[in-house]
Amino acid sequence: MAVPPIPDPGAMLRDMLGQWESMANNFGGEVMKSGEFGRALQGANAAAMRAQAATHQMMDRALAAANMPSRSEVEDISARLARIEEAVQRIEGLLMAQAGIAPPERPRPKRTRTPPGKAA
Amino acid sequence: MSEAAAPDIFDAARREFDRAMQRNLKGLGYFASPGPALGASPKDVLIQRGTMSLYHYHPMSDEVYRVPILLVMATTNRGYIFDMVPGQSLVEYLLKSGFDVFMLDWNPPRSDERGLALKDYVLDFLPAAVERVQRETGENDVTVVGYCFGGVLSLLWAALEGAPVLKNLVCFTTPVDFSKMEMFQTWADKRFFDVDRLVDTFGNCPGDYLYTAFDMLRPGARVAGNIRLLDNLWNDEFVKSFRMFDRWASDVLPLAGEYFRETTRKLMWDNQLLHGTMDVAGRPVDLAKITAPFLHVTAEHDHIVPSAASAPLIDMIGATDKQQVTMKGGHVSLIAGGNAIKRLWPTLVEWLGERST
Repeated sequence: MAVPPIPDPGAMLRDMLGQWESMANNFGGEVMKSGEFGRALQGANAAAMRAQAATHQMMDRALAAANMPSRSEVEDISARLARIEEAVQRIEGLLMAQAGIAPPERPRPKRTRTPPGKAA
Repeated sequence: MSEAAAPDIFDAARREFDRAMQRNLKGLGYFASPGPALGASPKDVLIQRGTMSLYHYHPMSDEVYRVPILLVMATTNRGYIFDMVPGQSLVEYLLKSGFDVFMLDWNPPRSDERGLALKDYVLDFLPAAVERVQRETGENDVTVVGYCFGGVLSLLWAALEGAPVLKNLVCFTTPVDFSKMEMFQTWADKRFFDVDRLVDTFGNCPGDYLYTAFDMLRPGARVAGNIRLLDNLWNDEFVKSFRMFDRWASDVLPLAGEYFRETTRKLMWDNQLLHGTMDVAGRPVDLAKITAPFLHVTAEHDHIVPSAASAPLIDMIGATDKQQVTMKGGHVSLIAGGNAIKRLWPTLVEWLGERST
């Protein structure tokens, strides 16, 4: 008489996890497709955005009162620096080209490859 | 018979004990060590301009196909999904198969780039990348390969400006019917979602906001994924793969404000690409004008771009040499990981090889 294989509890748990994940995804997906969910979600997002905007405004005022730059001002300066760096790089490239200084030549492979079936 | 079963019990018990030990030992290592270095294939940065980067990967063969490949990444994610680690890198696979590979990748837009719109991506960044690829290779023809929204940008560019230079166009899981992206539709429901408020408040659409949207498409996945990680901590390959994909999936980029506003209005709300009313900077987009050979690869179990959202594309393209292939896998496993190595990559190399001389 054949002895039934010994159940592997690890495999059973893994299988259960897969089933739970599938159920959670399906159920969650259905809930999230509903208009009520969309309304609640965007309501929460709008509230978070209002709070964030108010906080930014308050911080900007407080920093201005302390004679310090705000985060957005620092970001603007950083962005301007990045633009200047990019412009310097472009100018450097142009000057090098005008002066005939080429970047180190990399090996350039032949562009004659054909697909394996069509090789001569 | 009980004698035959006995070794199974001992083997299983020993295996579980070993794994439990390994979990404890390697669990500490997991938190103490950095993840694998991603996107490390040798390359030159040809353009670095704000949110745009253009890379040229160093060729890995002495003889390459005449037509270079330009990979166009989706604007929400990092391009290293195409170049994970050696042995699991599409870029490396293409290089070893004899292609000259470039990639148009994206950086987080700066605060002063909040005004970038669709026209900047389609009529400035993409043409600049193509022009640089032409200059670098001395070839007029270019093959463009776009992933997800990178595919949408490639389609828009190809329809408006691609004709003189586009040799082949390949899109991976590229949506055209945005009404069928049900979860994103709920997220961006115009009755409740105030895109103007979001853009006006934040400037750029925050990456966290997009990350949450992606995460909510599969509410059970994160918890189940972490339990699986714990279960497989003994398995170095599993852990390496988990870390790569987890890092990439959480590395979501912010989107330039105007670009986000415009894509939400034109695509998510008005579904203009499907209805044939899409325009970029006032120039009407007609996908039937794309006549270069075209390949569209979609995934059977894509939770981000479901088949229904990408299926109409093939009929909208004007090319006579066009093909739609649906492969097993999901939105990410289609292009990276073991599934992609077996399925997509060889198919892509074969399809492109015949059309790249």
